[in-house]
Amino acid sequence: MSQETKKTNKNYLSGKEVRAIAKANAAEMKRLEAYKNRKCEEKEFLTKMRDPNNLLEIDDLHTFFFTEQGVVKAVNGVSYNVPKNAVVGVVGESGCGKSVTSMSVMRLIQGPTGQIVSGHIRFAAKDTAKDKKGKVIRDENGEPIIEEKVYDIAKMPMREIHRIRGKQVAMIFQEPMTSLNPVFTIGQQLDEVTFIHVEGATKEMAKEKTFDMLRLVGIIPENVYDAFPHELSGGMRQRVMIAMALAAEPRLIIADEPTTALDVTIQAQILDLLQDIKRKIDGSILLITHDLGVIAEMADYVVVMYAGKVIEKGTVYEIFKDPRHPYTIGLQKSKPTMTLDDSVELYNIPGNVPNPINMPDHCYFKERCAKCTAKCSGEYPGMIQVSPTHFVACHLYDEEK
Amino acid sequence: MDEQLNQTASFVYDDAMEAQLFQQERERQIQEDFAKPFDPEAILEVRHLRKTFPLKKTITGKVTRELVAVDDVSFKLYPGETLGIVGESGCGKTTTGRAILKLHQPTGGQIIFDGVDITNLKSSQMREFRKQMQIIFQDPYSSLPPRSTVGGILSEPVEVHKIVPKDQVKDYVLQLMEKCGLRDYYYERYPHEFSGGQRQRICIARALSVNPKLVICDEPVSALDVSIQAQIINLLKELQREMNLAYVFISHDLSVVKFISDKIAVMYLGAVVEYGTKEDIFNNPLHPYTKALFSAVPNPDPTVKMERIKLQGDIPSPANPPKGCRFHTRCPYATEKCKHVPPQYHEYGDGHFAACHLLNEE
Amino acid sequence: MEELKNQEPLENTPEAADEPLDKNIKLMSPTRMVVRRFFRSKLSIIGLIMVIGLFLFSFVGPIVYNEWGETELDTSGTVEYVTRDITVFENGVEYTIRQTVETAKRDNFLAGPSADHPLGTDQQGYDVLVRLMYGGRISLIFSFLAVILVTLLGVVLGGISGYFGGWVDTVIMRLCDVLMCLPGVPILLIISTILDSSGIDAQYRIYVLMICLSIISWPGTARLVRGQILSLREQEYMVAAEAMGYSTGRKIFKHLVPNVMPQLIVQMTLSLGSMILYEATLSYLNLGVKPPFAAWGTMINVISQRPDYISAYPLVWIPAGICIVIAVLGFNFVGDGLRDALDPKARR
Repeated sequence: MSQETKKTNKNYLSGKEVRAIAKANAAEMKRLEAYKNRKCEEKEFLTKMRDPNNLLEIDDLHTFFFTEQGVVKAVNGVSYNVPKNAVVGVVGESGCGKSVTSMSVMRLIQGPTGQIVSGHIRFAAKDTAKDKKGKVIRDENGEPIIEEKVYDIAKMPMREIHRIRGKQVAMIFQEPMTSLNPVFTIGQQLDEVTFIHVEGATKEMAKEKTFDMLRLVGIIPENVYDAFPHELSGGMRQRVMIAMALAAEPRLIIADEPTTALDVTIQAQILDLLQDIKRKIDGSILLITHDLGVIAEMADYVVVMYAGKVIEKGTVYEIFKDPRHPYTIGLQKSKPTMTLDDSVELYNIPGNVPNPINMPDHCYFKERCAKCTAKCSGEYPGMIQVSPTHFVACHLYDEEK
Repeated sequence: MDEQLNQTASFVYDDAMEAQLFQQERERQIQEDFAKPFDPEAILEVRHLRKTFPLKKTITGKVTRELVAVDDVSFKLYPGETLGIVGESGCGKTTTGRAILKLHQPTGGQIIFDGVDITNLKSSQMREFRKQMQIIFQDPYSSLPPRSTVGGILSEPVEVHKIVPKDQVKDYVLQLMEKCGLRDYYYERYPHEFSGGQRQRICIARALSVNPKLVICDEPVSALDVSIQAQIINLLKELQREMNLAYVFISHDLSVVKFISDKIAVMYLGAVVEYGTKEDIFNNPLHPYTKALFSAVPNPDPTVKMERIKLQGDIPSPANPPKGCRFHTRCPYATEKCKHVPPQYHEYGDGHFAACHLLNEE
Repeated sequence: MEELKNQEPLENTPEAADEPLDKNIKLMSPTRMVVRRFFRSKLSIIGLIMVIGLFLFSFVGPIVYNEWGETELDTSGTVEYVTRDITVFENGVEYTIRQTVETAKRDNFLAGPSADHPLGTDQQGYDVLVRLMYGGRISLIFSFLAVILVTLLGVVLGGISGYFGGWVDTVIMRLCDVLMCLPGVPILLIISTILDSSGIDAQYRIYVLMICLSIISWPGTARLVRGQILSLREQEYMVAAEAMGYSTGRKIFKHLVPNVMPQLIVQMTLSLGSMILYEATLSYLNLGVKPPFAAWGTMINVISQRPDYISAYPLVWIPAGICIVIAVLGFNFVGDGLRDALDPKARR
């Protein structure tokens, strides 16, 4: 029996440690939860863009999960921008924090365990202008004036989130099976979006809008308007999800692994559709995926993430033709492609992604890196600029600075 | 109006008649193939495998509607070889894999394993063969029992099948773990403490613990990250060389299949539409579905924008497959004949089979 | 955190240097996780205290407080003599007889709380506190045995039904349906009448009733087990076990049953409460434990015969009622806490 306990003590946290973690977590969670639910003036979360050409600027974002086993730093100082009318692809393996970043933008992080701890998410929203008393300013025709306002989403209290969710930022999820409500028809669910986001919408207006949206995503509206989600195939459901995201005419669409659950031939259809939509709408797409092929086809800019940090970012040509970070290089080499010579052994990055609790203080990729030097055991490398648009976080390029 | 149209057409297709003819021809073929002697070299020979699932039953238990998950799959596999089965969801690739292991009892056809017809063996008789054929699953999370340690999971089959004497079990398992890239201190840990890649290694070690001759890999890398995928594929290839294993590698990912397979079968809605060596399939794809499948894979090179063969619509439900050629609803080259006459399976070149009407016309 | 890493001895240096990140990860052990989640809820702590308190009260209590036995009457009552004159005519002569009668309050019944009897005595002169303790014993033993029996029956029948399916499943499930249609208390009434006529020892009749009760209440557990097994059977590790060629027994008892255990434990705890209620009901209806033996239900039964006791002598029946409430609440709180702790999906 005593041997048993000794063994468990070695692999597992002791009661004392667990209690210490719980105590620290509780205090932090309480503070952040209060901050999230506070009441405040609009000016507190109004801000200015660094670069007016950007639609979204994520600046040093930290999103942590306070679990019983310790603090998981899912997003640990992530910064990237989404320019207007561009497709930004975020690529990384599972657990790298790419989805958590996008969820932070939508403020969909599940509290109280998950919290945005610090950082800024600046978003250029188009909203109705309001005077000091909060009344909508109207022009001479009685139409509300639309002006561009920059919100810091990370600082917004939860009661104000409705200003951006759905209306300004829409999301397409990975699992089209579960993201539609099974008890309502497709028509009802799409109409609802219009009712919520357009003031004074009538039934006819909503239906017309729904039909337009369905046509836009390549569905014959009459066929699906009265259908229930389970009557549609996976590809069709994903099209409906896209139509739903587009219905409120958002400025930013976050597509979180939109094609992962689909078959290759259906995936090709959806990618074509997204390309098509990209040209038709006035807005940007933030595409999150683990598939390098999808990124190469869709994106203008690419952000590569690893273990909660951005390790490389640049235009799609820079990342695919001139990758700098050993991880980006390894990732591209290890993906079997149709053109690859298959007689040799596939290149692989050894080891596994480090456990998100107890991250080391040196470069997170050090253990798996073939080009690791003595410097890598030092502090975490900063972002090094290799071209106007290309940044990389690796000590190998320190001299080039 | 309609009559006129019909008269102008060269001839009218009678669906029922065509289906009957096709069925007769196929039955003749099946009889002929069943009579052939078993190939003594092959580790696995599958002849006209068929698996249906009942959808509707009357009270008396008579099946009135059924889902044909696998319809006529045949291939031969030699030791040390890999057969890749590619297809989209619902094409019956997983059912094929499980039917070979008799996890589903096949409805028709023959499965010959190592010169023995195992199709109709009882489960008690199958136990002898179980240790010679193993399976690796797609989801490394649900395929390991959550309440046993890694050591327990790996030593259980060794003990049950008495692979080594009892006192050597632990050493044997540790050796096996090393071979699969698992560290010895994992022995005492539980599966939930591991990442997907490590779990998949545990699954591989479990499958190999009984020294099988054949391993069915059911999408073993689909749930894994790219960098881990490469590790697992390399591990599988290395183990194959070392132990002379035969693999049936089921996947929807063409690039992965290309990397590991010697022969490839492309499946669509329960039937093999094209079968041949890797070189045949990749350098000279014959069936329009194979071609479309190849062009649908996104290319990780932003400078190359390729022209896609676009497939319209969705995969039809296997419970209600289209008449004639199964693929005609989505085929860009479909003719009137395709809508009514099921295509025959023919050999084009040495060992390269395909089932398409277009190929015969050329 | 730094310290933790250092205290771990690096055994084989090449390996440790290779993958130190992996080896030093400390997770919470599964047991600790369950314990933590259980104790996070205040209600389950209260429940646990109630249950433990009850156990101590019923099993240790009589050893400590041993002045009175379960069926020991307090005979220390005062003796009064009533004198009365009776006039008798005998042969025309009038005799007056002075008779002194002992109208004994021989037994000290319905006494108020005192140092001798902390909760007083009941209508027959038994010590209430001691009878509460013995009543608790009966209730706890009854409910535990019944639950164990129900679980055994449920696991075996539900397991067979879920694993094999087909006609076996149909037969067992229809049997379940039939049993679930039977109203519990009336059936027990009938059985009890039969027991009365068969002249079984009053001390053991409650156990016979318990067996009957178990036989009609296993369907709930069986259905739970069957449902769990049906969903577990589809898990890939079960397919893997099948592919490994394990025997049926090994598959059921080494792979399926351990995975049903969490739900089973919750179910068992929750049904302990309902079994206690059953026992109390039976005893109240004078079908279970019969006097002179003590049970909580029997103790409350007094008020059905002497309604005036409800207000006049509350100490006779209220303590037993409180005990029943504590027992049932305690087991339900613990059961709820266990459910939250053992079911990871229920995590908030």
